[in-house]
Amino acid sequence: MNLFAVIVGAGDVDPAQSLNWLFPATSELIYGGLASIIIFSLIYKFAGPAAKKGLADRTAKIQAELDGAEQALSSANAEAAEIRRAAGDIAAERQRLLAEADSQASALLADGRARLSAEIADMESRAESEIMGMSGRMGDELRVEVGRLSSEAVDRLVADTVDGATQQALIEDFIRKVGAGS
Amino acid sequence: MSDARIEGYARALFEIARAEGTLDEVEDELFRFARSYESSDALRSALTDEMVPAERRQAVVESLLGGKSTATTIQLISMVVGSGRGRDLPEIIDRLVARASESKDLAVAEVRSAVALSDDQQQRLAAALANATGRQVNLKVVIDPSIIGGIVATVGDTVIDGSVRTRVEELKSRL
Repeated sequence: MNLFAVIVGAGDVDPAQSLNWLFPATSELIYGGLASIIIFSLIYKFAGPAAKKGLADRTAKIQAELDGAEQALSSANAEAAEIRRAAGDIAAERQRLLAEADSQASALLADGRARLSAEIADMESRAESEIMGMSGRMGDELRVEVGRLSSEAVDRLVADTVDGATQQALIEDFIRKVGAGS
Repeated sequence: MSDARIEGYARALFEIARAEGTLDEVEDELFRFARSYESSDALRSALTDEMVPAERRQAVVESLLGGKSTATTIQLISMVVGSGRGRDLPEIIDRLVARASESKDLAVAEVRSAVALSDDQQQRLAAALANATGRQVNLKVVIDPSIIGGIVATVGDTVIDGSVRTRVEELKSRL
């Protein structure tokens, strides 16, 4: 049976009646198969390159995205490493600054204590010398004052003791001595 | 004031006193006044203050010496003070005294005593000083209580110090 006869013969069969509940009729299989082959061939011929190109583009795009993601991951990892290193550096710098501050504070404290001690010693020394000087000056002033008062007292005492008779005796004594000294 | 001017005033006063015939008395009074002038700041400033009119200064002299000194002495001092030479009064008077003593061939002997000397003491002292210096002296006694006791005699450049003040000072310096 040629294909034509099959096709014509098929018209004798009720198309609504299937010979098998699962498979269509043989002719239908053949026609369908051929049509499918033709259609698929046409599709393959005309739509294949475009689909292939689209798939290739999509593959490239996905690959690019994958690459980008990988690069971003690597960059993020690098940045994370940098951040971790920087954090480490900051911690080290913090430690160094704290140590330096401690050292400077200790040096300042020691210097301040030394200066304070020197100033206190200097002040004590000056105070002692001032006290000594003041004591000396007061002693000198006291001696001068005592001397002045003593001098006045002596003058007053002598003046009180030189009475009229003594005055005359002194005058006579002077005249006698001057006369005798010629 | 220049030396010549002081000498001129001294000579003028000397001649006036000699002409008046009261040289000894005037000389003695002037000498005492000069010593008082030297020892009194108030008197010095009263007689030398240029702001005080000459008449007022002369009135001060007359009120001080009136009845105590001869008229010649008062007039001579008034003349010097009135002419604005009060500051040089002691020097003028000392020149006058020296001139008067020289005219009598005497050396001026300034004697400082804490108390007044009797005439007898003055005579004996003058004789003693004459013996000591080899010249007759014109004794000028100044009462000076600051010497406390004894006498300080100055004849020319010679000083004979027998004062209690000097002895006390020597004692103090030794102590």
